[in-house]
Amino acid sequence: MAEFLRSRFGVVFTLFFIIALIITGRLFYLQIIQGQHYREISDRNYMRIFVTNPPRGRIYDRNGVLLAYDVPTFQLVCLPYIVRKNYKIEDFKKYMKELLNIDLTDKQIEIIEKNLYPQLIIQKNLSPEQMRTYWNYSYLFNGVYIDVVPKRVYTPEANYLPHVIGYVGYPSEKELKKNPDLNMNMLVGKTGVEKIFDNILRGKPGKRAVLVDAMGRQKKILWEEEPEKGNDIYLTIDIRLQKIAYESFAKSKNPSGAVVIVEPNSYDILTLLSYPTYDLQKFYEGMTKEEWQNLTSNIYKPLLNKVFSGLYPPGSIYKPLVSIAALEEGVITPQTRILSKGEFNIGKYVYRNWDKRGCGYIDVSQALEMSCDTFYYQVGLKLGIDKIVKYTKEFGIGEKLNPDIESKTAIIPDREWKKKVFKTGWFYGDTVNLSIGQGYIAITPFEATKIILPIINGGYVLKPNLLKAYFDNKTQKLIHSQREVIRQFKFKNYNVEAVKYGMYRVVYGPNGTAKVMATVPIRNAGKTGTAQVYTYMTRIKKHHKWELRDHGWFIDFAPYDKPKIAMVVFVEHGESGGKVAAPIAASILRKVYYEKILQE
Amino acid sequence: MIKEILSFKDYDRFVLSITVFLLLWSVINIYSASFHEFSNLYIKQIVFVSISLLIILFLPKFMDYRKILEISLFLYIIGVVLLILVKIFGTTILGAKRWINLGFFQLQPSEIMKVIVILTTSHFLSRLELPLSLKGFFKIMFLVGIPFVLIKTQPDLGSAILILLPVLFMVFFAGFKSKYILILNTIVLISLPIVWHFLEDYQKNRIIAFFNPDAYSKEFAYQIIQSIIAVGSGQLTGKGFLEGSQSKYYFLPEQHTDFIFATIGEEWGFVVSAGLVLVYFFLSLKILYTGYRLTDIGGKFICYGIGSLIGSQAFINIAMNIGLFPVVGVPLPFLSYGGTALIVFSTMIAIYQNIYFLDKKNKFKLSHSEVEKY
Repeated sequence: MAEFLRSRFGVVFTLFFIIALIITGRLFYLQIIQGQHYREISDRNYMRIFVTNPPRGRIYDRNGVLLAYDVPTFQLVCLPYIVRKNYKIEDFKKYMKELLNIDLTDKQIEIIEKNLYPQLIIQKNLSPEQMRTYWNYSYLFNGVYIDVVPKRVYTPEANYLPHVIGYVGYPSEKELKKNPDLNMNMLVGKTGVEKIFDNILRGKPGKRAVLVDAMGRQKKILWEEEPEKGNDIYLTIDIRLQKIAYESFAKSKNPSGAVVIVEPNSYDILTLLSYPTYDLQKFYEGMTKEEWQNLTSNIYKPLLNKVFSGLYPPGSIYKPLVSIAALEEGVITPQTRILSKGEFNIGKYVYRNWDKRGCGYIDVSQALEMSCDTFYYQVGLKLGIDKIVKYTKEFGIGEKLNPDIESKTAIIPDREWKKKVFKTGWFYGDTVNLSIGQGYIAITPFEATKIILPIINGGYVLKPNLLKAYFDNKTQKLIHSQREVIRQFKFKNYNVEAVKYGMYRVVYGPNGTAKVMATVPIRNAGKTGTAQVYTYMTRIKKHHKWELRDHGWFIDFAPYDKPKIAMVVFVEHGESGGKVAAPIAASILRKVYYEKILQE
Repeated sequence: MIKEILSFKDYDRFVLSITVFLLLWSVINIYSASFHEFSNLYIKQIVFVSISLLIILFLPKFMDYRKILEISLFLYIIGVVLLILVKIFGTTILGAKRWINLGFFQLQPSEIMKVIVILTTSHFLSRLELPLSLKGFFKIMFLVGIPFVLIKTQPDLGSAILILLPVLFMVFFAGFKSKYILILNTIVLISLPIVWHFLEDYQKNRIIAFFNPDAYSKEFAYQIIQSIIAVGSGQLTGKGFLEGSQSKYYFLPEQHTDFIFATIGEEWGFVVSAGLVLVYFFLSLKILYTGYRLTDIGGKFICYGIGSLIGSQAFINIAMNIGLFPVVGVPLPFLSYGGTALIVFSTMIAIYQNIYFLDKKNKFKLSHSEVEKY
């Protein structure tokens, strides 16, 4: 008996010893070997980093008219894994309906039931009543909380220039990867100014490390990094001019086109209108399928920013550039008179003037006044393709003078280009066409301003400017954009005067193509352009199909003596520069005068 | 007289100091595990600990365990009646009927039954011939079987196991033949799939979760995983008192009862939690050893029962906390919150002290050679 007693005690002792050893070993493994690992898990378990997004900078026009700003909106978010734990799904549905008047969709219920996402947005844009109910009964909502999300608001003024303002959205995965400062809930610029100046507007998100419990309730703030508000920007746009341009264009009943107004000495962009426009706020907040289809299937392409992205043959508005090139290269002098008939022949090819009657013996100013094609055929041939291309490029056409804002640049045909595209050599006929802005050349409406700028601002090729200034929140200073000279022409004064005079005669001369501009109280000068879309050889004057009609152009500067604005009016398939584009320019300039924005 | 009452020199001072220490320490830990819920649990714990201290310190002098053994069958009947009353009038908490509401106190008869079963079994063993025969074994099994089934169906698998386990140890100590033990083990192993069918769904899930925690990480293994994280993140010296983030921010359920060890592991680290394992090891061994030394069969088996109960309950609880055993709802002796358990365990220690005390006082103590003679 004593024997078994002793041996059995030994067995139990050994058993307990082994168990204690296993437990201690397990503790050693968990706390010492894996301790660091579990410490990290537990830190993640209770510490959440919340990102607080700063308000985005506001967008103003040059005079401080507000165009875009941020407002906070509130959305109801739930954590499905906590909701699942606390409610029967029917009860949760009932709560939402009875207390907050929210109908959960089947999709949302599925997400909660199956715990598909860690977070689910139940409803955006909560009403004040819903917010009040939530706060009063917050103890009823386990795993449901309210999130603040910024919303961009565009003022009615911004609808005059939706293409310029652009819009914001949440960053794509690519953008998130590229820029570690971004986060999922942050608004970033997608197009337009919002995108171009995103770095200035965006600000820096703040971070808040918060202790949370298993229910997701925030218990205590551990540390906080304040968000940095985005900087406000002031565009060079003058919203008064923009509005006038918009209204004048709309009144003309032309369906599609563009207006650009710039300040010639600083190249500040005062107006950038791409017509037709669209409702910016609606576009940003989401539209119905029908509205969206209307926008995308519209043949007038409201979503395209024609100012920077449309490429069109310039037609006769190209002539001032050819003129100054010919004068500077000594091909002609301001006094040189050339016989310009109704036709011009190269071998068996016939090149006609737009006016069959011809122009007679004329100098360069008269040629501009009458927009005489046969004059430029001859001058162009004498000048040669290489010189024309050289001047065109030096004027900044085909070059992104400001790569941030210019998306497309002109197609400038030269010998190389033609070899590459058509696998043929350069013909005289090509030069003839180019010298009146026809043929293969195509420019953006914005580049049309480049044609006149060096002629009226003393030969400067400048960097175009869309940002007048921004308010730096850190230094509390307004930082102005600086005028940037890219290159300068040393034009002879009398040559410049001859071209300017020619453009003056376009408006005030007896044979001027834009006499309508003479009705404006400000002395101004311009040049019309009617660019053929269809081949010029089979010229069909009145085409019934809108897409086949000629484009109407008008470029203008005012006041004549000391130009303060340079303007481009482009009417897509408008048929005539003088009859369609010029009246719009006249209407704009008249209003600009009467509203005392520009006076002589 | 008063001097005599206040003298503890005849007590097992090793067991005395350990139990007093654990009781006092439990207040601190329960404070840490519950203060963030703005609950007054720790105040209740102070009350129970005070009562327990009184029981441990003074009860041994006013009782005689032999008299208790004589009325053990009567106690057994009271215990079974209480268990039946729970079935009828019990309060349901978390889906289980385990408590009788006495207004000021939630009585948990299954805890009381633990000590009663040990006493009754000891009483039986002191009357039966040793080594234990097969017939005697079945008598005892029948005796344990009734409360086991009653508790298992509450449902409370943990308490049921801990009713049975000490008795099995006692049977083993009683010299039950190894041959029988092997045969019974085989029968139990074969019948495991049948036992499985009698388990409640939640119990099955917990056992599945134990063997495959990842598959159930959101549901049933949640407790296990959170508890392992809590213990592991304590590292060598712990996060510090009241600094346990796992326990303070509701990641750890049941942290003041069954998972108090995880809170301790998180806040005090390896040094203290491994030390605690040793404390339980030595406590139970010391009690078993006293049983081994004793000559009075009744007292001997009470000690075996109490020692193996404390040891196995502590080890099962800790193993459960660190993912070595399925979650079965077993509190940690002396440390977990729970009035009935505290008072029952203190009473057990008091009985033990009484056995030790009387043994010393009545010069029952025999030398090793004398034990062998016996």
